[in-house]
Amino acid sequence: MPDDPKIVAPTRLLGAVGGGHYELPVYPFVEPAELKGELGRHPVVIIGAGLTGLTLACDLSLRGIPAVVLDEDDTVGVRGAASRGICYAQKSLELFARLGIYERMAAKGVQWSVGRTFAGDAEVYSFDLKTLATHDASRQPPFINLQQFYVEWFLVDRIYELGVVDLRWRNRVEGLVPHADHVEVQVETPVGRYALETAFVVDCSGGHSPLPQALGVGVQSARVPDRWCISDVRFAAPPPVERWTWVEAPFNEGRAVWQHLMADGVWRLDYQMAPDADLDRVSSPQVVDERLRRQFGAEVQYELVWVGPYAYRSQCLERFRAGRVLFAGDAAHVMSPFGARGGNSGIQDAENLAWKLALVLQGRAPEALLDSYDAERRPAARHNIRTTERTTRFLSPASAAERLFRDAVLALARAYPFARALVNTGRLSTPMVYEASPLACSAAPCRPVQNVALRLPDGCTGDLVSLLQQVDGSLVAIVAGPVDAVLAARLAAALPERYPVRCFYLGPDGPAAHGLPALGDADSRLAHQLGLDVAAATPALALLRPDLHCAGVLQSPDWPAIERAVRRVLGLGKD
Amino acid sequence: MPMNTEPNLADPDAFYEVLLDAHRGLSEAQSAQLNARLVLLLANQVGDAQVLAQCVHAAAALPRGAEEVR
Repeated sequence: MPDDPKIVAPTRLLGAVGGGHYELPVYPFVEPAELKGELGRHPVVIIGAGLTGLTLACDLSLRGIPAVVLDEDDTVGVRGAASRGICYAQKSLELFARLGIYERMAAKGVQWSVGRTFAGDAEVYSFDLKTLATHDASRQPPFINLQQFYVEWFLVDRIYELGVVDLRWRNRVEGLVPHADHVEVQVETPVGRYALETAFVVDCSGGHSPLPQALGVGVQSARVPDRWCISDVRFAAPPPVERWTWVEAPFNEGRAVWQHLMADGVWRLDYQMAPDADLDRVSSPQVVDERLRRQFGAEVQYELVWVGPYAYRSQCLERFRAGRVLFAGDAAHVMSPFGARGGNSGIQDAENLAWKLALVLQGRAPEALLDSYDAERRPAARHNIRTTERTTRFLSPASAAERLFRDAVLALARAYPFARALVNTGRLSTPMVYEASPLACSAAPCRPVQNVALRLPDGCTGDLVSLLQQVDGSLVAIVAGPVDAVLAARLAAALPERYPVRCFYLGPDGPAAHGLPALGDADSRLAHQLGLDVAAATPALALLRPDLHCAGVLQSPDWPAIERAVRRVLGLGKD
Repeated sequence: MPMNTEPNLADPDAFYEVLLDAHRGLSEAQSAQLNARLVLLLANQVGDAQVLAQCVHAAAALPRGAEEVR
């Protein structure tokens, strides 16, 4: 496995620009099999080896699906070693734990849970994510900050280690030709053009993908004239490890500023610029230097690792599935960065899609199951866009009236608790509840389930992620309460024979019930997450999806009800 | 819960005086600021999202005055 990326820097911190930089890996170009005359039908082609594409490829690797990833570049990252998306949310971290890169991320990245928001010099409010009920049961922390190229680097290493998926660097997709039972992908490489055939394509090629338009998928876009300058900086005397945001920073001409720590002691500083700012000038070393001295004091010692301008927009496709082509990550939806929803929602698109694609390709679920990806992730994207647009409006008031109300909020927030809730410097990414999911098997929506600790059937301490790792891509059914022997026997044997489901018993501690392997849940965290009561007078069954969403809880179910529920979650409908 | 448009002010003239007095001596910009702050404070008193939305729409639906050019 390659070493971690290095900062190549002088050992003595300088007072000005010109310090360290990262050296990113270069991956080899390999002549594709098709150019050597080896043709065949692939199961999935993933276009784009960014966060979303690599997450999907890694998940499919673990499911034994030999996908092909096509990336026009030969390294991780874009725009050199720009830090890009840096805040990885708990649900993404839980997925990365299942994929096998969480330990590296935890070792390299920075965990944080405290945020503070300032207006002028006054702190307007603060929060500690660790105290939230939505985050306090998981084995993963609320957030880890890490430069995006590190996450991509770890994913590439893991994909190579697993040896299932083919990463093809310097393979640029020129076009797609959909057919009835496959898609032809036209590819350009340094040694010639070729076409490959695949059952499915997942476009993860980013917010400027030409493929939606080429396939007739409509898009809605909105742009605001908000401009930012991003600086990645190391300090001799670093600030506290917290996320700090200013709505009106006195050292930035009354505009917004973000301050976050990433790996290697590099701080990510985002400065809001005037809408008509000269972007080259505001990113120039001299202007950056003046700004840093205004913020941290004239004597500050720092090293500038990276600097560049940044703009954003919102965008969403009208559908995320067009036959055999699916869209994920920025190729499907783009949003402003406030709240860390862009990268995290791409990762969670991949998590939603991987198990469904795998079951379809293995013949264990119908292709119609893929429609649920659009039915679940497009509302998630719209929710994320709506949420981030509200933040954008607060940070970049579009009229005198909008500025008037923002001023009122800031004035009130200094004095009254109620107004602090209106100060909007980003609503941090939380896992989506799938409200109108076609896969819900009870009246409740498909709720996310935190990665709680539990005792595995072999007696070892584990968590839901390690349980999922043991069940080979299946759904997990968890039964609690007085289940009868006949039903338990069928759940242990007949059900897994027919469907990709594995059943476990979550009772009070004791021998496994009637042949079902038992889970231990000493402080009832799992029961609480699933909405089960082990002490209830009647049995219940929770159906957990591989993406750590609960598809529903069935009360006192009989065998037909259980079978109907499983079929529903697999997209087999009501028959 | 629907918006209440029936009389609910205990002493309408007294409230009206408090409101106008608060604006006395303020510039137009300061008055606008005061109104915005007051809207948010009162919104928090009301609390109910449906009622608030109805109030906002009721205010917006009234015929607009001519634009003043000063």
